[in-house]
Amino acid sequence: MLRRFRLEEPESVAEAAELLGRFGESAKVYAGGTELLLAMKEGLVQYERLINVKKLTGLSDVTTADGTLVIGALCTHHQLENSPVLRDKLPALTKLEQNVANVRVRQVGTIGGNICFAEPHADPGTLLIALGAKMIAEQSSSKREITAEDFFVDAYETALQADEVLTKIQVPIPAPNARSAYLKFGYLERPSVGVAVAFNLNGGVSGVRIAVGCAGPAPRRVAEAEALLEGKSKDEALRHVAEAGASAGRAAQAISDLHGSQEYKEHIVGVLLKRAFQSALS
Amino acid sequence: MQFQKEVEILAPREKVWQFIWDVDRFIACVPGCKDAKTIEAGKRYAATMVEKVGPFKVEFPTTIEVLEREELTRIKAQASGADNKIGSRMKLDLDVHLREEGDKTILGFVAGVDILGKLAALGHGIIKRKADQVLDEFAQAVKTKLEGDG
Amino acid sequence: MAKAMTKHSDTQWIPVSFTLNGRLQEIEVEPHELLLDVVRDQLGLTGAKRSCDVEVCGACTLLVDGRPVSACTTLAFEVRGRSVLTIEGLAQDGKLHPLQEAFIEHGGFQCGFCTPGMILAAKALLDENPNPSEAELKHFMHGNICRCTGYKKIIESIMAAAKKMRAKA
Repeated sequence: MLRRFRLEEPESVAEAAELLGRFGESAKVYAGGTELLLAMKEGLVQYERLINVKKLTGLSDVTTADGTLVIGALCTHHQLENSPVLRDKLPALTKLEQNVANVRVRQVGTIGGNICFAEPHADPGTLLIALGAKMIAEQSSSKREITAEDFFVDAYETALQADEVLTKIQVPIPAPNARSAYLKFGYLERPSVGVAVAFNLNGGVSGVRIAVGCAGPAPRRVAEAEALLEGKSKDEALRHVAEAGASAGRAAQAISDLHGSQEYKEHIVGVLLKRAFQSALS
Repeated sequence: MQFQKEVEILAPREKVWQFIWDVDRFIACVPGCKDAKTIEAGKRYAATMVEKVGPFKVEFPTTIEVLEREELTRIKAQASGADNKIGSRMKLDLDVHLREEGDKTILGFVAGVDILGKLAALGHGIIKRKADQVLDEFAQAVKTKLEGDG
Repeated sequence: MAKAMTKHSDTQWIPVSFTLNGRLQEIEVEPHELLLDVVRDQLGLTGAKRSCDVEVCGACTLLVDGRPVSACTTLAFEVRGRSVLTIEGLAQDGKLHPLQEAFIEHGGFQCGFCTPGMILAAKALLDENPNPSEAELKHFMHGNICRCTGYKKIIESIMAAAKKMRAKA
């Protein structure tokens, strides 16, 4: 049984932001509820009001505009795994979305809700960082961009302000010679380690972006590992990928817990980076 | 969960020792700690610990017992608290020691922290990081307070 | 558990008009009520089970507009304007659905606790993909857990039902 709360159903982002501003910590945005309702059932959080954002329009499409892919925050994982636009422009993200949780969570869970709840053991954030995504956050009368790198601050903590609503996720459409891949590993219900890699292939590898997620409190970009592969030829990069993996493992801020020891997770980061890199090359 | 911290303070040992027993100022160094009260000077104290991890907030009314005391050298204390709203308990075993190194005082402490109940559902890793953060900030705050006062 | 019908002036009631197993239902729920509780306690359909209560096991699976959801973690008001299918609504005029027949014929259940959710999920799978490969079946059914069968007979049952349903179509 959940504790009683009042349901608010704003019809515009401005209204939603205004409600959040007015009610502060006693209100929370509610979309698919796949994370929020669990926390509420556990009694870990309590809210007087839930702000149902599913009546907001224009936030559940996948469109392209000026070389950018725009994903509405209310797009469900199910929508994304079946989006022809996404499959065409970002197959790595399509594959990620196909493998989020299970079919029932994918049916109602939204990508916006996933990244805003910022559960450490989640998938999309890691790849969005590697793809150089930007989040669009809106208040009653203003909008701002937050890079994916800056969005994930800590476990369950994002850069969003209390009265901001995430509306869109913008991903630059990769160039024809761009490659990317996301791999995850886990044997519990949620992933234990996730690694994303993106780069341009033109003789050598350039514009390398590597991100690690799930092992630490928040997904993060690993510049140290990127530097070990940046500008190298394909073969040289493959020779250095183990070193890059070790560097990424150390940078993952892994903690020993039920998902595995710190050493084990760091090791898995290395394995996944190697495989993701090879997968992206092929 | 076990933690070990050491912080160098540019202040004489007596000053650091005195500061520890100045309960209000000392408790103010613990991030999230408020409403410090002396129940029995030198022996029992009370405070409220408020900590937040993202949307998850806990409020532990806490009692602190001083178990052992070695003048200017060592304190052994135990603290415990419960947040009935969330259904979680906190236990802390604290061993504080001071030693002199030239004109510096080394304040070290060994802390054993246990979080029981629903909050543990957040995951051992998250809680460990948070506790580590709190203890780090605490050590820094003590240093800053003591050094800042000249 | 009978629902208290006292209405307080400050209680928020949400009218929910929806189709349940082909029939129109009109109820009122408070925002915090969970679909699983409303279906089991208010509407008396106890096929869906509360098992893990964290959307992981699939024992509470219901089909909303033909798609599987975890009733344990769905707010009841969310089905307003939609169609809901429970296991009780699968058989038509006393005739079992091919999936139900296949589960019986091929031993797709033992204790039966996961079975309502398993069959509904399988129905959603076959509605989306009438000819799934075993890999596609396993991927879709990944979120429905069975403690008894070891899954082999479940897969056989679903594949057999799919074959029958394709032949009839």
